[in-house]
Amino acid sequence: MYSRALFAGYWFAAPAILLMIIILIVPVLIAAYLSFTDYSLGNPDINWIGIQNYESLFNRSSYKKMFSASLIYVGITAPLSIGLGLGAALLINSLKHFKDLYKAIYFLPVMAALLAMAIVWEFALHPSIGIINKTLSLGCDSWLESVRWYARSCATGFPQWLGDKSFTMATICFIGVWQGFGFNMVLYLAGLTSVPRELYHAAEIDGASSAWDRFRLVTWPMLGPTTVFVVTITMIRSFQVFDTVEALTQGGPVRSTYVMMYGIFEKGIQQNLIGIGSAITMVFLAFVLLLTLIQRWLVDRRTFYS
Amino acid sequence: MAGRSPDFLLMTNYQFSASQTLRHITLILGSLIVILPFYVMVSYSLKSPGEIERNEGGFFGTQAPMVDERCVKRGEPDQAAIKAARPSFPTLSNREIYEGLMVNVRKNCTKSPIAFNYGMAFTEAPLLRYLLNGVIVTFSIFIIQIVIALPCAYALSKLQWRGRDFIFGCVIFCLLIPVHAIALPLYIMLSKVGLTNTYAALVIPWTISVFGIFLMRQFFMTVPNDLIDAARIDGMTEFGIVWKVMLPTAIPALLAFAIFSVVAHWNDYFWPRIVITGDRDLFTPPLGLREFKGDGDGSFFGPMMATATVIVTPLIVAFLLAQRRFIEGITLTGMK
Repeated sequence: MYSRALFAGYWFAAPAILLMIIILIVPVLIAAYLSFTDYSLGNPDINWIGIQNYESLFNRSSYKKMFSASLIYVGITAPLSIGLGLGAALLINSLKHFKDLYKAIYFLPVMAALLAMAIVWEFALHPSIGIINKTLSLGCDSWLESVRWYARSCATGFPQWLGDKSFTMATICFIGVWQGFGFNMVLYLAGLTSVPRELYHAAEIDGASSAWDRFRLVTWPMLGPTTVFVVTITMIRSFQVFDTVEALTQGGPVRSTYVMMYGIFEKGIQQNLIGIGSAITMVFLAFVLLLTLIQRWLVDRRTFYS
Repeated sequence: MAGRSPDFLLMTNYQFSASQTLRHITLILGSLIVILPFYVMVSYSLKSPGEIERNEGGFFGTQAPMVDERCVKRGEPDQAAIKAARPSFPTLSNREIYEGLMVNVRKNCTKSPIAFNYGMAFTEAPLLRYLLNGVIVTFSIFIIQIVIALPCAYALSKLQWRGRDFIFGCVIFCLLIPVHAIALPLYIMLSKVGLTNTYAALVIPWTISVFGIFLMRQFFMTVPNDLIDAARIDGMTEFGIVWKVMLPTAIPALLAFAIFSVVAHWNDYFWPRIVITGDRDLFTPPLGLREFKGDGDGSFFGPMMATATVIVTPLIVAFLLAQRRFIEGITLTGMK
């Protein structure tokens, strides 16, 4: 019977192992190899060109813009969607009524196809007929004009949110935050249920009287593990932004929203520059690996001390 | 719900609380921003192009009948039609017959904005086909993921074999690789074997869910060994144990994983965008919507929003019906 189970082990794991190798490990190796070549699909020969792809990746200004666009996107979207997620979770958790209602509403964007909602946002943000600018222009000729930006916009028109270089990245980030913070909220809500109530009483006895003190001394430290996880997963998800960029800006205007996933898509798939696309892929994987290693390290350090 | 406080049940204390009110106001303002695009989407899908353009008619629009100009253009009587009508109206000139026929055409092409938008959504592009493709792809992905992951998870948790720990280490390592990130090499591999623009291309990269294996393995670890030993004594094969003993115990975890998987792949746009080029018959719903946007002109806002509504609604409705399960499923990735 024991040997039967032994063979079953191999048989049962074999398909998964095989697929894991073919679908996950081999592609990474292929990308690693191709990133040192000038390969393109349909081209019979592959030339080894050393680190040339990586050199142009790190030296050419267009690729530098790509990295900075990705970092700006992550740098804005991740903190905001984590902060708003935590804020919403704390507020909802402290409510007496309607908790589930707010939770459901804030979670809606997570469920909806991002591509579809991106297109809806594009309509809502349409410079002339979009509901946002129409609503904003209702505020003209009122006290709102005392804000200089508002008065100027009333005179010269409200911004082209997706066409004006100075607003596009902010708009794409906004859609990212809108879509993602509900996810972080439910993770934090789950984290909050595991904070023991006695700790708050203990903190109160020790003189933590204000809500801020209770948050600082009890809630925040107890949410540590949740935060480490939320930060990692939000950053990795933000690095993968693609749908909004492809549908709304195509990386523009002037490459201000040319993020890495879009770079892989445009260079590797559309322009058939497989070498450079693979190099971007490798840098991307390195980012993800780095983030995860930092997360693991933080988690390990934590368990060590507690 | 674990977090519900007892005050909620004792609805007696109705005193006004400034801090509670303030919290509600903040959350309501947030809700408005969150709901705004859903409101725009559904509202535009109900209104006529004119109402959208002028931003009037409230949420539902006036639903005043409108003439579908494209339909009129299609129905415009040609020479043959006028000739055919000639004998019935011997006294009228060609011009007058044309006018008379046009009145009829316009009448037949008059419809309510809702009918116009949703009608266009389904006729202008094969939306039903897209939806069917979406169902086929998401469903196949989920079934294959389970068929592959369940036995492996069982082997990793309940069977003793050499190399088991090493393989589990590989699973943990592969958790690090986002499939979207390696899309380019996957695309090259698929096109080398001539599989781009097939259902297979949409499904294959997702057949292995290391996350599913990991999740199921963690779940199986909690299943008592006695249960499996009893099944073995009853003469069950290992294969039978996986599907007749382990599978039923894993239903809750499986359900959560199903939601996780279906939501991810119904909504996925990146991967289909890469492997499906041009062949409309293979478009998934997001691809179909994207194409609609690509070749739409101004009068298409309504039909496009109708398409978006049709694509987004199934998951939203399912979510509202089974909120807790969905939240559990989607945040599964948060399990440690």
